Amino acid sequence: MLVAIFAIPVAVGLIGFLLPARIVGWWATLGALASLALAVVLVAGFDATGGVLRDVVDESWIPQLGVRFQLGVDGLSVFLVLLTSLLWAAAVLWSALQAPDRPRNYFFMLGLAQTATLGCFLAQDLLLFVLCFDLMLVPLYFLVGAWGTGDRIRATIKMIVYTLVGSLLMLVGAIATAVLSADATGGITFSLEVLRRFPLADGTQYWIFCFFAAAFLVKMPAVVVHGWVVDAYRSCPLPVLILLGGVLSKVAAYGFLRIVIPVFPDASIHFQELLLIIGLASILYGSAMAFTRTGLRDIVAFSSIAQMGFITLGIFSLSGAGGDGSVLQMVNHALVVAPIFLIIALLAERTGTEDIRAMGGMAKRAPVLAALFIVVTMALLAIPGSANFVGELFILKGVFETKVAIALIASSGIAFAAFYALRMYQRTMHNPLPEGADSRELTLREGVVLVPLVACIVALALYPGLITTRGQDSVDRSLASLCEDPYGIAGEPAAVVEADCPPGIEPEPAPEAVAGRGGFDAWTGYGPAAAAGVAP
Amino acid sequence: MSISTWGWLVLAFPLAGSLLIALLYRVLSAKAAGWIGTLAIALAFACSVGALLGLLDRPADQREIASTLYDYAGAAGIPFDLGILVDPLSVFMALVVTGVSALIHLYSVAYMGSDRGYRRFFSFLNFFVFSMLLLVLAGNYVLLIVGWAFVGFASYALISFWYRRRTATDAGMKAFVINVIGDIGLVFAAILLIKELGVTDYGAVFELAPEAFTANEWTVVAICLLLIVGAIAKSAQAPLHTWLADAMEGPTPVSALIHAATMVTAGVYLIARSYPLFDLAPTAADVAAFIGLFTLLMAATIALVVTDLKRIIAFSTMSQIGYMIVGVSIGAYSAGLFHLMTHAFFKALLFMAAGSIIAAMAAIQDIDRMRGFRRAMPFTCGALIVGALALAGFPGTSGFFSKDEILAFAATRGGMYWIFAVGGYIGAILTAFYSFRIVFRVVYGEPCEEAKELEGGHLAHAEPVNPATGEVEDTDVGFPGPDHHIAEREWPMKVAMAVLAFGALFGGLIQIPGVTHVLESFLEPVFEASPIAATVHVSTTDAYIGMAVGGLCSLLGIGAAFYLYMVAPGSTLRLRDRFRRLHDFLFNRWYFDELLNALAYRPVIACGRFASGTFERVVVDGIVRGAGDGVGGLGTVVRTAQSGFVRFYALLVVAGLAGLGLYFLLAAS
Repeated sequence: MLVAIFAIPVAVGLIGFLLPARIVGWWATLGALASLALAVVLVAGFDATGGVLRDVVDESWIPQLGVRFQLGVDGLSVFLVLLTSLLWAAAVLWSALQAPDRPRNYFFMLGLAQTATLGCFLAQDLLLFVLCFDLMLVPLYFLVGAWGTGDRIRATIKMIVYTLVGSLLMLVGAIATAVLSADATGGITFSLEVLRRFPLADGTQYWIFCFFAAAFLVKMPAVVVHGWVVDAYRSCPLPVLILLGGVLSKVAAYGFLRIVIPVFPDASIHFQELLLIIGLASILYGSAMAFTRTGLRDIVAFSSIAQMGFITLGIFSLSGAGGDGSVLQMVNHALVVAPIFLIIALLAERTGTEDIRAMGGMAKRAPVLAALFIVVTMALLAIPGSANFVGELFILKGVFETKVAIALIASSGIAFAAFYALRMYQRTMHNPLPEGADSRELTLREGVVLVPLVACIVALALYPGLITTRGQDSVDRSLASLCEDPYGIAGEPAAVVEADCPPGIEPEPAPEAVAGRGGFDAWTGYGPAAAAGVAP
Repeated sequence: MSISTWGWLVLAFPLAGSLLIALLYRVLSAKAAGWIGTLAIALAFACSVGALLGLLDRPADQREIASTLYDYAGAAGIPFDLGILVDPLSVFMALVVTGVSALIHLYSVAYMGSDRGYRRFFSFLNFFVFSMLLLVLAGNYVLLIVGWAFVGFASYALISFWYRRRTATDAGMKAFVINVIGDIGLVFAAILLIKELGVTDYGAVFELAPEAFTANEWTVVAICLLLIVGAIAKSAQAPLHTWLADAMEGPTPVSALIHAATMVTAGVYLIARSYPLFDLAPTAADVAAFIGLFTLLMAATIALVVTDLKRIIAFSTMSQIGYMIVGVSIGAYSAGLFHLMTHAFFKALLFMAAGSIIAAMAAIQDIDRMRGFRRAMPFTCGALIVGALALAGFPGTSGFFSKDEILAFAATRGGMYWIFAVGGYIGAILTAFYSFRIVFRVVYGEPCEEAKELEGGHLAHAEPVNPATGEVEDTDVGFPGPDHHIAEREWPMKVAMAVLAFGALFGGLIQIPGVTHVLESFLEPVFEASPIAATVHVSTTDAYIGMAVGGLCSLLGIGAAFYLYMVAPGSTLRLRDRFRRLHDFLFNRWYFDELLNALAYRPVIACGRFASGTFERVVVDGIVRGAGDGVGGLGTVVRTAQSGFVRFYALLVVAGLAGLGLYFLLAAS
């Protein structure tokens, strides 16, 4: 199942090379819809109890280096997988309707990027994650560089340099983690389930944490390493922008929950305040920029920085509510950003500009577009009643329990969001219509992509519990690593000091296998001595 | 049907109406949309009556029915149910909201008849009522926040209804953003409640709170202060009141809806609903009471000098809400809610009459231009006078009984609370004065041009201009369109106003001290646990003394207005010149807009400009450039500059990191 989800996009892209250029877009759409259907089946049959991994795939891959092909989903990733498939379907469909140049290459790159992204969400092996993380850059490089607009070369290079530095730091960090814990684990392994049970010494954790954090913060992006994002957003072709803004940024946030907190728990506690302050700075700075910029893409770019700041806060509140809220908010934010970018494309087509100073009055002849846009706007500013509000409520509650002052300052971001989101809506849809603008209604082709996305926002607003209830056990399980000495020293199921756990988190019971301390073999392969917490 | 089913139906009809009109916007004729909207609210009213009868069937101590639809998002220790609570308080609110809103819808069917955005208008109007009903019926604090915010959204949509007007869209944004500040207050209140008690359901919170908190403990005071932030933002109390006057940019029925039935009364409801918490935090309750008193007097003084007809009424709303806030904060719960009800009647009536006059004036709102409509529009003027009498608290009218009940309670509670009684009576004089300032200037005197034209049977027309900026309106998006509608010629407007006029005149009779106490005994089971209500009893004698004082205040204010505008016209101009500074201070609304601009808006925008103009360029891009330059310097040294700094830099990084990785692999084996 997971292998199919993982492999279909790139396979579809490859087969596309054999097809006539005319139909390759529709072929890719078909493939994207198939992978979406699989993701829906995955979510529908998903059992979130206990927060353990499901549908685990585990094959030996590079045995010399201890790298294994391990895939699995839990409450953290299952909706991100669905989200990835959904947004890719939207982006591929939108592209197919636009008929890009060199379609075979284009759709292959999209497929490759989807596989890489899904790989990040599914990987349970650290090195596999890192490879997929880096692989995402390759298609992105070509997509922005070859199909982008404006000063795309500069934008591409800026983006690649920024993210590559982060990625390579992470590669080093990953290798170092496996090597340095080899003594404890009994051999080199990159399996996350194993690594999290043998935390490194504090000092080592600290610098490896910094490597990982650098990679993720650049990708998110967070202030002040966001320098690449504005240029990239301006040059990125719009369907790709949906993915860049909607999904790729979530990989980074997800990485914190999946890898950094479980594997480097002491460092996560050590650097908690630093990360909270970075998140807070992102909120304030992103909001302030979103206030004053006049280009629509700039506004969305900076609002994304602010929203990712909230997600960072939630994760590093190191609390169940905050983490659960972040998982929800990742989905929410992606679902909001994607339609906004599509709407920007529609508006740009009608007014010939993306500058809000030269726009306005669209609502008159386009009531349906205006209605869809107001729904998206309200979700962006997280009006209570939307799923985004639930996400922010959970995050704020998590932060409030840890650091009251940060929660209070962060809440100003909500008021700011109301201002910049409404400003964007008002300046484009309301006010007098400028000269030369062509105000017309959504066409059917445009609606086919836009309406389902907005429908998803509304559906999730009616029942955000879909995600929060399924996410919480997995979040708790990630956070359980933070409990002081969760599995006992040297494998003895020692007394666990519950007081050290984050509020509301209970330490995970030490798995049976630990009692005998079977060494490396007991930990790999999910074999007979399978570690508890991994349900094949 | 069970009571909770009635409760859910009250919510379902307006929502269904809103969605139906929105989805069928191409198909429905304009009138059909209006009637569907009105019918939806009327059905909601009928269901509220159903719930009321159901409650009355039960013994007084079993009138709290909670019902949950589903678990909305409860997880990670945060409870979040989609649940409602039907009890006397919520049913009372639902009755007022649906009853008055139904009449406003009826009025709008005619008043907005020539508006191009007719369907959009009714869809939003129904949604507005739905939001308000969600707010009052919600069974827990988190769902309350949802209704609270939906009300904010609906007000945004309706205030900026004529969206080609820049002033209207700006006013809508202002209302929304200020309301979001209130929302944040509520969110933190809810978070604190969850943290301290682990529940948000009203029943559970009020049960646990007395055990968890000692009186005036900082947590419960903080919770109440946060609730007050939400309440003052929504109820337009100082210093978060500035949006309300700007909200007059919306169509007049919207003003009526915001001011009378929905939205601004939410803060009063919130404090009344949370009374067990406020009882535990008397400090916070006193803070709210003083905010109410301050707003009451401030808004009344502004209403003395403002010349825009709708804005005078808007400031009078702030002032009257101040009375209610004072009432529910000092423990006069049923009195405060009684005033909420009577105010809904006479304020809706005043706005409807004002809308009719403004239509007759071809959308001019300046009372300096209006004069002598009594013969041209007898029905409208009659309604205006009835509304003004009730607002002024003229003896026997509804406003008279309700206002005096609050002030008599304040006087009886004694001590510090005397301030509220005294301030309230001073406010009553001002209120009577400015209400009759409207009446004497608009109804009486030598008819103005428009009034004369109307007496000749012709309704004035003019090219619609934005009263605020003088810009010619874009009538493409709707009203102010080519046609105007006045009550004299439209029966739905007449019916709505007649019903409200009846309520404004006789609504007070349900609560005559010593004679009737319909409302008080209905609401009693809700507030019986309150220690203040249990200890403070207004004796009938005191109530009548208070009513005598209140009646005198009212007559004094009306008399002063009569003297200044009828006996010695022109004397107000002399007064204005004499006290120029004071007049400017009041006319500029105590400079609160300027204060908020200077304290909040401008610093934030300045930060944004700095971030955008300087920081981003110097620091963020500087990192890239610095890195490039650094590599460049290195590049010159190794004479590979021509290969491009960035690419070389990337290569260097790759090589370095690959080496590092290799080192670890080697070291391990």
